[in-house]
Amino acid sequence: MLKRLLAATMGAALLWSASAMAAADMGQFRGKTITYIVSTSPGGGYDTYGRLIAKYLQKYLTGSRVVVRNVPGAGHIVGANTIYAAKPDGLTIGMFNTGLIYDQLIKRQGVLFDLAKFSWIGKAADDTRVLMVSKSAPYKTIGDILKVKTPIKFAAAGVGSAAYNDARILADALHLNVQIVPGFTGNEGEMSMLRNEVVAEVGTAESMEQFVKQGHGFFALALSGNPNALPGVPRARDYVKDERGKRLLTLIETLSEIGRLTAGPPGMPAGVLAAEREALDAAMKDPALIAEAKKLDLDLDPASGALVEARIKAALNQPPETVAALKSAAGG
Amino acid sequence: MHLDVAFSTLFDLLTTPRLLFLMVIAVPMGVFFGSTPGLGGKLGLVLLIPFVYNMDQLTGAVFLCAMHAVVHTGGSIPSILIGVPGDGPAAATALDGFAMTRKGQAGRALGASFGASTVGGLLGAMFLGLSLPILEPIILNFSPAEFFLLAILGITFIATLSGDSFIKGMIVGLFGLMCAFIGLDPSTGSPRFTFGQIWLWDGLSVIVAVLSMFAVPEMISLGVRGRSEDVSAQTASRLQGTAAVEETVSRKVSYAQIFHGLWDVTQHKWLVLRCSLLVAAIGVIPGLGGDAAAWMAYGHTVQSSKHPERFGKGEVAGVIGAETGSCAKEAGSLLPTLFFGVPGSSGMAIMLGAFLMLGIQPGPTMLTDHINIVWSLIWALVIANIICVIMLIATGPWIGRLGSVKASFLIPYVLVFALLGCYLYGGNWQNLILVMVVGSLGYLFKRHDWPRAPFIIGVILGKIAEDSLQKAIAIFGAGFFLRPISLILIALILASIGFYMWRARRPKIVPSHA
Repeated sequence: MLKRLLAATMGAALLWSASAMAAADMGQFRGKTITYIVSTSPGGGYDTYGRLIAKYLQKYLTGSRVVVRNVPGAGHIVGANTIYAAKPDGLTIGMFNTGLIYDQLIKRQGVLFDLAKFSWIGKAADDTRVLMVSKSAPYKTIGDILKVKTPIKFAAAGVGSAAYNDARILADALHLNVQIVPGFTGNEGEMSMLRNEVVAEVGTAESMEQFVKQGHGFFALALSGNPNALPGVPRARDYVKDERGKRLLTLIETLSEIGRLTAGPPGMPAGVLAAEREALDAAMKDPALIAEAKKLDLDLDPASGALVEARIKAALNQPPETVAALKSAAGG
Repeated sequence: MHLDVAFSTLFDLLTTPRLLFLMVIAVPMGVFFGSTPGLGGKLGLVLLIPFVYNMDQLTGAVFLCAMHAVVHTGGSIPSILIGVPGDGPAAATALDGFAMTRKGQAGRALGASFGASTVGGLLGAMFLGLSLPILEPIILNFSPAEFFLLAILGITFIATLSGDSFIKGMIVGLFGLMCAFIGLDPSTGSPRFTFGQIWLWDGLSVIVAVLSMFAVPEMISLGVRGRSEDVSAQTASRLQGTAAVEETVSRKVSYAQIFHGLWDVTQHKWLVLRCSLLVAAIGVIPGLGGDAAAWMAYGHTVQSSKHPERFGKGEVAGVIGAETGSCAKEAGSLLPTLFFGVPGSSGMAIMLGAFLMLGIQPGPTMLTDHINIVWSLIWALVIANIICVIMLIATGPWIGRLGSVKASFLIPYVLVFALLGCYLYGGNWQNLILVMVVGSLGYLFKRHDWPRAPFIIGVILGKIAEDSLQKAIAIFGAGFFLRPISLILIALILASIGFYMWRARRPKIVPSHA
């Protein structure tokens, strides 16, 4: 009995000290202001995710104040440059589009960062990419699209954007006979489909779900994401025949797996990074955050900073032929 | 039509004290954001969104809509009194509004502006309500080919808005068009006119263009003059040509003046109706944008006037046309936001985010499942406009004092907010340098009597024209302009140019008294 009591007391003491240690780590930001950089203008998906995460990071980084700063420009490049150049004290972190991997691989002008060196804190969601086809188009399956003789039109975002690159890569990997019409932002591509100007668009399942629910389109192909998330939708991987295509598709898959990520500048002290990773993990499990995300219609699929780091490094390790393929895709 | 729903929602709004109270709070907020150059309605929405988070759908949406509805009415105040517009549409109001203030007619200009913006807002909302059943075909018949031609039609108005010198107007307009091409080429993704500066990739924003072309030059020249109204008497007689009518320039805004302005609106009822419909129709088409719509209303006003030479020099019709346009477009742009989830204006893009947050899922089902919300928002626009005009008329004489604030107080206040606005808009400090460079140019334009409006039109419409031309050619091929609506628009463009040329050849009529 005494032994058991002793064991219980020791156990409790250990637990207490462990939690005290964790609390000490989380308390290192007491009285400090953390700037959470969102690489887009206010409004829109990144801003909403960013503000939600910032709000709950503040809750778990005891005594801190987390403020959101919008640093838009050059398709997330300016925001990522800003985070990268910040002092690595954990007081400047933020979010940008994973598609910047493309920009780094093709050594795009303006890229001043190395994604492999960021301090990765975690990610909030999967961005499942899909090919959505208009219901009024004469193509009912991906098989129909693979067989077309004359080029069919796909709507895409601006040349150089992540969404544009996704479309080009898909066309390249599957040898689709398509003409990509760039310059569509927001839901303009869907409007263009309603006007029967274009037949399809590549984008995230989340952003196109409503259009499909309204009966205007259908998911013809899932490029990435959890196979169970979109039951009955064919997988792009099953239609890729060559090695080159497979490599390109793997890149899209990796990118969509690590959506809405949070990163800090390179060289953050281990204790600081650990505390912020822990705070983000805890925030993503917070029932209040989950409830808010549900209200905002935001999908959550969190993962740790360590996993993001591993994925990013793998994605950056591409053979020259993939980089060449990307360059030709991005070249328009 | 859902007449029963239409009236029951109005009844609900008017008999729910909480909603009425929120609208009464939202209106002065909207006026504040609109009237502080550099803040603007979009920032207002962004700042207020957290407050509606815990409200229910209807309350939150009505609150934001009411605030947004009156932003442009507020924006006319600094445009008229100190010549400093906060955004693209307000710059059109400043052209004649500020000229009227310098002639000592600030009260009349304010009255005309309040009246026109309210009527514009009301007519826009009515248009919104009446067009619900035919909305879809209207929206779907406008493709990038038509956007391009509408942009070109707008660009032809540069000629009309060039004032005395067509050549000067064209040079400034073409310079504006060139500035619109700063940034990434939409078809190749390669940087143009960016001089290796990454912050220029996103181009010159309309807000930065307006603040630097109007706010900065006005403040510099105010600093040079010392006090805004000192020159008014001499300027008035110089600008009037024949008229030394306004010998005693009143600096005060009186109720009599405001009612004179309101009376002016009733004298231009057909103009108000035409501008409201034109702008609400353009606002409804996603892709063209409200900024373009308001300028097209002003362009139409000048073109359809018997005395185009008076515009820019304090013609009350200019204020009326521009204000009707600014306010009617918000109702128009609400439609595509609600039914397609495609925002019709930049403000509506933020509103769309707020709707989603409140659990309002835009889409065609709004017409069937949430028609009560649609009508509540329409009525919120109407009621907010009415509350706004009552508040502004009541406080008009006090608002008018802004016009005689000492330069030493006004200049730092306006410049700080203008620079803050430019900084907030792009989030980069380099924009401040851009404001100074373009602002100095704007001052030179102002000093040497070069028109500044064509620059704004060039910046706004250049981007739309280029983007839609690329898309139209990609989608329809080189023969894109052979679609029926396109042909009508081409006819309008030719008519607009022909009309201008015909009028330019006509012997000049000596302007009569304003």
